[in-house]
Amino acid sequence: MAIIEQPRTDVALPAGAGAPAYVTPKQAAGMFARPVAPKGWRDWVFTVDHKKIGIMYGVVAFVFFLIGGIEAGLIRLQLAAPNGKVLSADQYNQMFTMHATTMVFLFVMPMAAAFANYFVPLQIGARDVAFPRMNAFSLWTFVAGAIFVNLSWFLGGGADGGWFMYAPNSTKMFSPGHGVDFWAFGLQITGIASLVGAINLIVTCINMRAPGMSLFKMPIFTWMVMVVQFLLVFAMPVITVALFLLSFSRGFGGAFFDVKQGADPLLWQHLFWIFGHPEVYILVLPSFGIVSEVLPVFSRKPLFGYKFVAISGAAIGFVGWGVWAHHMFASGLGPISVLVFSMATMMIAVPTGVKIINWTLTMWGGKLKFTTAMLFAIGLIIEFTIGGLSGVTHAVAPSDTQQTDTYYIVAHFHYVLFGGAIFGLFSGFYYWWPKVFGRLLNEAWGKANFWLMVIGMNLTFGPMHIIGLQGQPRRMYQYDESNVHTRFWNAISTIGVFFLTIGILCFIVNVVITHRSKNPKVKAPLDPWDARSLEWMTSSPPAAHNFDAIPTVHELDEFFHRKYAVDHDTDEIKQIATAEDIMAEQMAHAEKDIHLPSPSYWPLVVSIALPIIGFGVIYSHIFIAVGAAVAIMGIFGWSMEPSVAPKDDFEPPAPTDGNIKELTA
Amino acid sequence: MTVHGDSRASAFRRTWRKVAASTAVLGTGLFLASCAKDSPQDTWKPKGDAARKIDNLQRPVFLVAGIVGVLVCIAVAYAIARFRDKGQPIPKQSHGKPALEIVLTIIPFIILATIGAFTARTIVQLADTKGCEMTVNVTGQQWWWEYDYPVTEGNQKYGITKPIVTSGELVIPAGTCVLLRETSRDVIHSYWIPALNGKKDAVPGRVHENKLEADKPGYFAGQCTEFCGLSHANMRQWAIALSEADFAKWVENQQKTATVYAETDESPEAVGYRAFRQNCSRCHQVNGMQNADGTPTIAAPENNIVAGSAPNLTHLMTRSRFAGETFPLLNEECTDRLTKAASDQLGAVYLEGVTSSCLNRAQLEAWLRNAPEEKPMYVKPDAKGLLRGMPNLGLSEAQIDSIVTYLQTLK
Repeated sequence: MAIIEQPRTDVALPAGAGAPAYVTPKQAAGMFARPVAPKGWRDWVFTVDHKKIGIMYGVVAFVFFLIGGIEAGLIRLQLAAPNGKVLSADQYNQMFTMHATTMVFLFVMPMAAAFANYFVPLQIGARDVAFPRMNAFSLWTFVAGAIFVNLSWFLGGGADGGWFMYAPNSTKMFSPGHGVDFWAFGLQITGIASLVGAINLIVTCINMRAPGMSLFKMPIFTWMVMVVQFLLVFAMPVITVALFLLSFSRGFGGAFFDVKQGADPLLWQHLFWIFGHPEVYILVLPSFGIVSEVLPVFSRKPLFGYKFVAISGAAIGFVGWGVWAHHMFASGLGPISVLVFSMATMMIAVPTGVKIINWTLTMWGGKLKFTTAMLFAIGLIIEFTIGGLSGVTHAVAPSDTQQTDTYYIVAHFHYVLFGGAIFGLFSGFYYWWPKVFGRLLNEAWGKANFWLMVIGMNLTFGPMHIIGLQGQPRRMYQYDESNVHTRFWNAISTIGVFFLTIGILCFIVNVVITHRSKNPKVKAPLDPWDARSLEWMTSSPPAAHNFDAIPTVHELDEFFHRKYAVDHDTDEIKQIATAEDIMAEQMAHAEKDIHLPSPSYWPLVVSIALPIIGFGVIYSHIFIAVGAAVAIMGIFGWSMEPSVAPKDDFEPPAPTDGNIKELTA
Repeated sequence: MTVHGDSRASAFRRTWRKVAASTAVLGTGLFLASCAKDSPQDTWKPKGDAARKIDNLQRPVFLVAGIVGVLVCIAVAYAIARFRDKGQPIPKQSHGKPALEIVLTIIPFIILATIGAFTARTIVQLADTKGCEMTVNVTGQQWWWEYDYPVTEGNQKYGITKPIVTSGELVIPAGTCVLLRETSRDVIHSYWIPALNGKKDAVPGRVHENKLEADKPGYFAGQCTEFCGLSHANMRQWAIALSEADFAKWVENQQKTATVYAETDESPEAVGYRAFRQNCSRCHQVNGMQNADGTPTIAAPENNIVAGSAPNLTHLMTRSRFAGETFPLLNEECTDRLTKAASDQLGAVYLEGVTSSCLNRAQLEAWLRNAPEEKPMYVKPDAKGLLRGMPNLGLSEAQIDSIVTYLQTLK
């Protein structure tokens, strides 16, 4: 079904004013009518707008960031001193399992999805993603899965096998509670969300780019997102299989990991890491994309070696499939496998190094502005380099057999994921906040946020290198000094968490004061950073239809090249247009009627069915039937909802000048 | 700015400098203090051949990684200082220099290929287990290690003519390559003595080989490093390397069976013997123990424990720790004496075992009083009535007392 959105008639700047006139269908073929331009919470819950979905992804993910952070804080409190008594062994095991699960699956992945949803269509000059209802389905399915995993806290305790959930420790005999069941089925549900979202974004990137935007004119963030979506499409099925094997072993007497019946427990490890290693790139590549946008903008230079960065991203995506067993150097693979995976792992450091070099060279010779977004991007270069280099020491398999499963590796991947993925996401928050909300986050609070997080993360994770090299294994609810003398560094590490906490509070305070402020200065100008890519050619926040006229792309960094040109006499770069000029130009050529998809109830209905089936798997099989019935009803309603409305289905009748742009619904 | 403001600002700066300087001094002091104390599981202090091969490989790698890290930091710092916006014109919109790009790709490639070559060599060397004369079967289970010295040709050279089954502490002759054949009875564990070699997982249904060799007699700490459930943190191990002569003494003693007490004997040891037989021998084997009718007492842990095994206690008092090496069996003073013993003294101290003046009696009694209170374990029986760990046996103080008296005879 469709909304006809009419472009604004007032060309008053700054844009964003003037509610679009929605014209929507009265009824859908025999089923419930499609929701019509709903207001209030309904506007959000039934929306298929990629921007609203992106914001909701972000809000939910941020809530889980805080939950995962509280879990991390409890872990560090427990380890602040030898023989900690904050948590019991059982609680501690649940805490580190859920901390990792939450941060990986419920924060970094969906937060990257939030950015991807919001900015990919804007960056490629599209009005929405390819399948807007599928997009809503992804969001709600993710939310359903995330809540489902965390319900275990209230229904007998969280999963306690570590996020890697090695069999047979995760089987019913060794983890008799329901925690692992909730974990396995919950991740199965969030996996569906990732897969659906991945296909959606791949189709969007390939089919919906603005005219003239070849793949090598596509903004680098969109490039990295596209690589990640391909990784998801191939990685998710593997974890799906693994999780089904686990669920069937636990719930239905499957013997996939029962050694007595001839199973080999290494099966789980291979499946998990064939998913798990690409997953690392799934987590970090979107952030690489973000800083590859931010660094050029604040260096006033294009990304150095754009094609190299794009191709090295794709190369990481490919080689990332051939390194999974470096997580298993100690698990008894045999020297040939160890050797091959050790070499492959070293080779993946090359394209990663290319990125670091290119970012540094992007800044080289630039005209640097140190906004908070830029600081986080530079922070990523440094912190990720540290994590990458400790990664190289892990690629040296013999050395890894000493350091794996100690705090050294905990330090390594927190530098990669906190210093890499999370710094990138924060850079993105500050960079794109004015685009999404039309308000500029406060730079003073932002800088406090940045410096506290830098100090906090180095205090928290830096000492873990030493703790690990001194031989303290990870996943221990207590340590005592009979075998590790790490009291001092553990205390420092816990102190670091307080800095991190205050840093993240600064961000929250920043958001609150920015949105409460009546000061006209917080209102974002049209182009606050003098940016380079298409998403800045819209109002802030963008109208529902994104672009009044779909721009034709001639250059990489199209927006920059519309603003600036080389003066042939002086060979200097001169401004030839302002953002306002370009916006006005767009409005002048606005398409008369823009056809956008209508909201829908059904994605939400199908999503809700999935956790019901999950309860059925865990408690009573009747619920499987109930959930399936809801799902079938939802799918039926969904498919009966016409994607293209007949013309007489509009009120007032659709315009007849034939200038309707169709989008799939 | 006013003069007043200036002085206030400089006062602030002075205070700030003082704070910074004292923090730096304090930090450095604490850093050195913490470094001065050796950590027994330090991964950079090899005391044996395999660990040294690893160490020789990792030190240059860490150095190279450190240098590269510093170079990147310098480059970024330089760019920050040099190219900040000072009103210069917008730079040329260059998309990069392919030649530079290729050179900068080849350099890391060469560095990594070089590291790779040395890595490959070490991997092959470490996998070579030829020349390992002794074999010990190492079996992990929740949450302790069992060692079983089979009667093989190689082991016979060391006087092993009867199988030896022990737990927690791996006793090996120094200067000899010992091949560990690792497996598990329940979940995956990982055997790690950092001073002697890297980790190798013990996986149920598989046997993984791992070699250990200690240069000199010594007491080497280690820990299970694959998460194995509730009490993973308490699953420890030590390797004790003895001189060949001391090792021969140890082997000889380990092959002896325990004293048998007559059913009519009323000595405290004999009372403890019967209390042990009644309460403990369902799971714990003591070689040589007899039932009232004179038949051998055979423990049946498979009827009580998920893993189907419990530590053999025939020579409990020759070990320095108990309960998966969680707790010291020696009191603080004697623990110190053992852990700080010079290499040539270690054998004598270790072979003394736990004398009555050294016994950490309070801890042993606490364990017998309520084991799961001391070490987290799953002692709620599963559907088949099996436990994971030692339950609270509900022993009376008198029983505890006499069992401790008996345990002291297990030397």
